[in-house]
Amino acid sequence: MTHRRVTLATAAAAAGALALAGCGTGASGSDEPVTLTFAAVTFTESGRGEALEAWVQGFNDSQDQVVIDPVGIPFASFSQTVFTQMSGGSGPDLLRFDQADFVQAASSGLLHPMDDILDVSQFPLIEGPDGYNFVDDTRYGVMFGASNYALIYNTDLVEEPPQSFEEFVDLAIELTQDGVYGHAFRHTKDEEPGMMQDLYNFVYGFGGAFSDGENLTINSPEVIDGLSAYQELYDAEVVPRGADAATYRRMFAEGLVAMNIDNGGVPGIVLGQNDDLNLAAAPNPFPVASQGGIIVPIGVNANSEHTEEAAIFLDWMLQEENQVALQEVMGAESVAIETTRSEEALAAAPYLQVFDDLTDSTQPQIVEGFEEQTPELRSIIVDQVLAALHGEMSMEEAMDRAQELGENLVGD
Amino acid sequence: MPWGRYLRVLAVLAVLGIAVFPLYWMFVTSLTTDRELFTSSPRLFPDFSLTGTYSEALTGPVPRWLLNSFLIAAGTCLVTLALAIPFAYGLSRFRFRGKVALVIGLFVTQMLPESLLVVPLFAIFRTFGLLDSLHGLVLVDTAFVLPIVVFVLKGAIDGIPREIEEAARVDGCRPLGILTRINVPLIAPSLAATAVIAFFSAWNEYVFALTFIFDRGLQPASVGLASFIGELSTPTQTVMAVAVMYTLPAVAFYLIAQRYIVTGMTAGSVKG
Repeated sequence: MTHRRVTLATAAAAAGALALAGCGTGASGSDEPVTLTFAAVTFTESGRGEALEAWVQGFNDSQDQVVIDPVGIPFASFSQTVFTQMSGGSGPDLLRFDQADFVQAASSGLLHPMDDILDVSQFPLIEGPDGYNFVDDTRYGVMFGASNYALIYNTDLVEEPPQSFEEFVDLAIELTQDGVYGHAFRHTKDEEPGMMQDLYNFVYGFGGAFSDGENLTINSPEVIDGLSAYQELYDAEVVPRGADAATYRRMFAEGLVAMNIDNGGVPGIVLGQNDDLNLAAAPNPFPVASQGGIIVPIGVNANSEHTEEAAIFLDWMLQEENQVALQEVMGAESVAIETTRSEEALAAAPYLQVFDDLTDSTQPQIVEGFEEQTPELRSIIVDQVLAALHGEMSMEEAMDRAQELGENLVGD
Repeated sequence: MPWGRYLRVLAVLAVLGIAVFPLYWMFVTSLTTDRELFTSSPRLFPDFSLTGTYSEALTGPVPRWLLNSFLIAAGTCLVTLALAIPFAYGLSRFRFRGKVALVIGLFVTQMLPESLLVVPLFAIFRTFGLLDSLHGLVLVDTAFVLPIVVFVLKGAIDGIPREIEEAARVDGCRPLGILTRINVPLIAPSLAATAVIAFFSAWNEYVFALTFIFDRGLQPASVGLASFIGELSTPTQTVMAVAVMYTLPAVAFYLIAQRYIVTGMTAGSVKG
């Protein structure tokens, strides 16, 4: 290498180092507003993410003390990322969690008790879902959203929604032809959290639950009935095998999936992809009128140095007008307080009423009594259901095995 | 042309096709409508009327993500080479106590997955104020790629006859001069190869970047690309368009470096 090249390389290294040195976050002056980070999967959602950011911007514009900086973290890596950050003494100031992760974070002391910073008694919170914001009788969150599950269908393909599971299977088989699938659900390990959400619908819909509050009931007859019904649809080949949720929801938007049991956020998403789609909703066609629901609390990181500023945002969030605006963003989801949808909104999207009416019969997607161990139990159950789907054993044997592994986990 | 040559050309074209087709398909998918994505016989050629996906991506945060990735990758490349060259030289030319343990220690670092180290490293980085900065990512990426680079360069330096260094020393060259003026030019092909390894390693790193960066303005492209994968939906065409943009700079860097690798490999192969 010539002297010139060495000089150039050294200069390039120095330039690189200088460039890097200029890329850190700058220190803020004392008179500047405090910036808080707010992490949520929803910020990564095409369409809904931008709308939620605009809603947050409404807060930022409303006052000059606090600025909320939205942080979108992909769904699949959300838990691992925020738990690593929080366990390391840092992390976002505000977090929108799935309930299982919320309970785990609160139980581990990673969330700040809410009553210390916010008087929620001034807000008319919806009692049912609000009850899931407590861990050991301490409030650690308020509800950001609650989303029920219902049967969404394409009215160009489905004239009348099925009234029973038998009708549902027959219709799904009849509609599966020419590149169109009768139904779709998650059925792969890499979508474990989402697959478990789908399984809850079948389990609750056949009168089962993974626990009775004190003991695991993973191999109870009702659970096996529900999961066998799930397997019946899989074996009938009416679902697009291998397609992940994002893919089959796009297929639904394109009229290539006729029916889909999914949560209240989905109709808005698929209509955003194809506003010509004729979509309607109905209660799940299962023997028992019960289904899973995603209850999503928002909590304050125990590591946050700005808990009072976080409370300013939460107070703003719970004001009625901001709750109404939030509900418009979240589609067919409920928010923390009872809101009334406008006549125009219900006329434009009649499926909203179907989802709203299901709130009373919705159960949270956690293993009651074993909330802290729900993520580990989820992994066990999904693994065994997949073993049954792949023909390694019957569903009954798979659930016996899951029960045994679950009991070993919880120490029963 | 004889049949044998035809067959060889066909074989080369087939291998080239297999290597390039995924990139081509990524490009075609980025310029395909939703409905065509799910047809049983999707279009083989891109629809150039759909280039709006690219314009939308370029007006968003993608250029910033790519710049961040470039700074992280280039920084990792420079720091790694700056540390690895003397490190490899020391391992190759000097005998010292604990040398074997040091080599084993370097190997051990390669056996630990990122996901295992991310929690303790997060705590250490927080203590030293290295979170939410590109410097921090350069450091952690350097730490992970340095052992591989050191081993490659040590092997290259081992192959240089000591007589050349002795001759330089007789001519009055100092130890640092021997390293920079004798050894570095002679291991240029290995330097180019390891630069590519270090650059790609940092360019593609995801776990640390996702965990250590909170500020969206500092996210690299690997994290930005994943941020399109939502809970309820994923805009496939946008993901593919950004993936194309994410791939091209890395390919360009490889092509530039590859010239030096080939030049260096052939240099000195013929006496005369």
